[in-house]
Amino acid sequence: MNSWIHPGLVICIGGFLIPFIPWKRVKQAYFLALPLAGLAILVSTSMGAFGAIPPWPAALHKWNVPFLQYTLDIVRINKMSMLFGYVYVVAAFCMNIYALGVKNDWEHVVAMIYVGSALGAIFAGDLFTLFFSLEIMSWAPFFLLLFRGTQRSKGAAFRYIIWHHVSGLCILAGILMHVYQTGSIEFTHMPWGWEGKYLGYNLMLLGFVINSATTPFHSWLSDTYSEASPSGSVYMTAYTTKTAIFCLIITFSGVPLLMWMGAIQSVFALFLAVLENDGRRLCSYHIISQIGYMVAGVGMGTEMGLNGAASHALCHIIYNALLYMGAGCALAVVGTAKFNRLGGLYKYMPIAFWLYMVGGFSISGFPLFNGFISKAMTIEAAEFIQRPIIYLLLEGATVGTFLHTGLKLPWNIWLQGREEPPDDIRAKLKDSPFNTPVHMLVGMGILAFLCIFLGVYPKILYDMLPYPVEYVPFTVTRVFSITQMFIFAFLGFWLLRKLVKGYPTFVLDTDWAVRIIGGKVIGFCKGPLLAFGTTLDRRIMELCGSFISKIKDPKIELRLTPMTIGFGVLVSLILFSTFLILKI
Amino acid sequence: MNTLRKYPRKLFWRLYYIFLVVSLILDFYWLYNHIFHYHFSFQYIAQFFALFGLFGCMLLILIAKGMGVFIVVDEDYYQKGAGRSN
Repeated sequence: MNSWIHPGLVICIGGFLIPFIPWKRVKQAYFLALPLAGLAILVSTSMGAFGAIPPWPAALHKWNVPFLQYTLDIVRINKMSMLFGYVYVVAAFCMNIYALGVKNDWEHVVAMIYVGSALGAIFAGDLFTLFFSLEIMSWAPFFLLLFRGTQRSKGAAFRYIIWHHVSGLCILAGILMHVYQTGSIEFTHMPWGWEGKYLGYNLMLLGFVINSATTPFHSWLSDTYSEASPSGSVYMTAYTTKTAIFCLIITFSGVPLLMWMGAIQSVFALFLAVLENDGRRLCSYHIISQIGYMVAGVGMGTEMGLNGAASHALCHIIYNALLYMGAGCALAVVGTAKFNRLGGLYKYMPIAFWLYMVGGFSISGFPLFNGFISKAMTIEAAEFIQRPIIYLLLEGATVGTFLHTGLKLPWNIWLQGREEPPDDIRAKLKDSPFNTPVHMLVGMGILAFLCIFLGVYPKILYDMLPYPVEYVPFTVTRVFSITQMFIFAFLGFWLLRKLVKGYPTFVLDTDWAVRIIGGKVIGFCKGPLLAFGTTLDRRIMELCGSFISKIKDPKIELRLTPMTIGFGVLVSLILFSTFLILKI
Repeated sequence: MNTLRKYPRKLFWRLYYIFLVVSLILDFYWLYNHIFHYHFSFQYIAQFFALFGLFGCMLLILIAKGMGVFIVVDEDYYQKGAGRSN
């Protein structure tokens, strides 16, 4: 049976119709129905309507289309892609609710193309389909950024697309070298090494590493995600990086380099987050830090590590969208998410605060929240392979995560020990606790419910994982150690709370190289280089002009005697014979 | 206006102190009774996770603040020379 309805295609093409629906309510209902249609397809696929899904790593193959001398395997359904597929459509549904207030229909269209192409990438069975989907996907956030319409977001959009062109070209080069060497276009596990023959694979790895924002190529994420509109940035948190993680799981699992990069990244991003003043940039650093866990899990390459990476990607999409929505609420209602200008919002936005806190507890990995059941798995995978340094880095990152998203951000936005927000912020708020738009709260509410539901009942997630799970998350040891760690992390935060309050500053990241040195290169091209080129151009034109005027001089015919012509021929012959001799 | 509520500050602190003390006692008690099953020997140090949480958190803030001397700049750092960036 070769038939299947591609949820990505449904969402992508369906999205194009949104601007042409004249009635507002119908349009909103249709916008919400798109991811639900995708969900319905996935549920029916799980139930075996299109053939039973074999155990991992075997897969169902659909839509095999001949292309050049290859056969494209456009749809490959296995347990891993189903896992990502489910969370992509469920998250898209919640994000669509959150984005209902957006006036520009084309923002919805772009968001749906983004979701659809991400689904296309995770269901791809061959490298060409994968590359095609990744390329479409890399353009969607570009437009989401442009639609915000500010000068800063425009700059961020162009920096974003430069990064993703680089990563896209790396992936393409890697794919082409792989196809040239092996003749196979299957999207599967790739060999890896430092020798020259692995150049293509290293390029492919580099492409995925840039896409997944792994240190030191992480700066594009914090730079751009914080510049999109509140709802646009929520879409961006989920798809690009997690699709890259999916690609890494499939292609480069068990590469030790990734394990170290991931563990270091999970802590490094937190140092930058301490200094951060913008709520959404802080959440961006937490995406980077959490991706560290996934990359480390992929690098370990054990069954538990890969299960941990996949389940953490799933949980991460849910709680991180929730965190971004929480910080986005402040931005949407009072127009800023900067810590030094906020504080004391609790009285006016208490529901958003508590829903945000669910996300904060989840990302920290509190027991009974979904971060606990997935993060603990990756950390324990490091324990099982006896890597104490990796373990300490990941555990330290857990403390730091709680410090920022569980304490610093809510403290600075909603509390700061004050009852009322600053006057200019207070003027934008109504005298009621319901300042946040209802659709935003509903979107957050569903995600918060999912966070708690998966945290209390992890079996539903564990059954979806590719490898059988023997891991029991709720042991006395694990629950107690993590709770005690958080209780004392709070003490540390409280003692030093003055140091983590917001200052109107900006943290330089590795994008400094791109922005400043890149800017200098462009400045050099625009200034001295262009001036040199113009001068050269002018000089040549002058030379040509004088030459032409000399030729047009009537006296020149008098100089053309047989003697001069013969001399000219002789010189050309010598030059020509020299050329021939040198050539031989 | 009367629907506006302050955050439950007192309740939070009471609960916090109770948890703090209980966790300290439980750690000694369970460690003494060999309830815990860890993978590394250093995890068996008494109150390891309390110390790790406290000092990990403080070190993170202090090191980051130290890094901040070098990497923190003015808020409109990239906007100053509009021609250079963007």
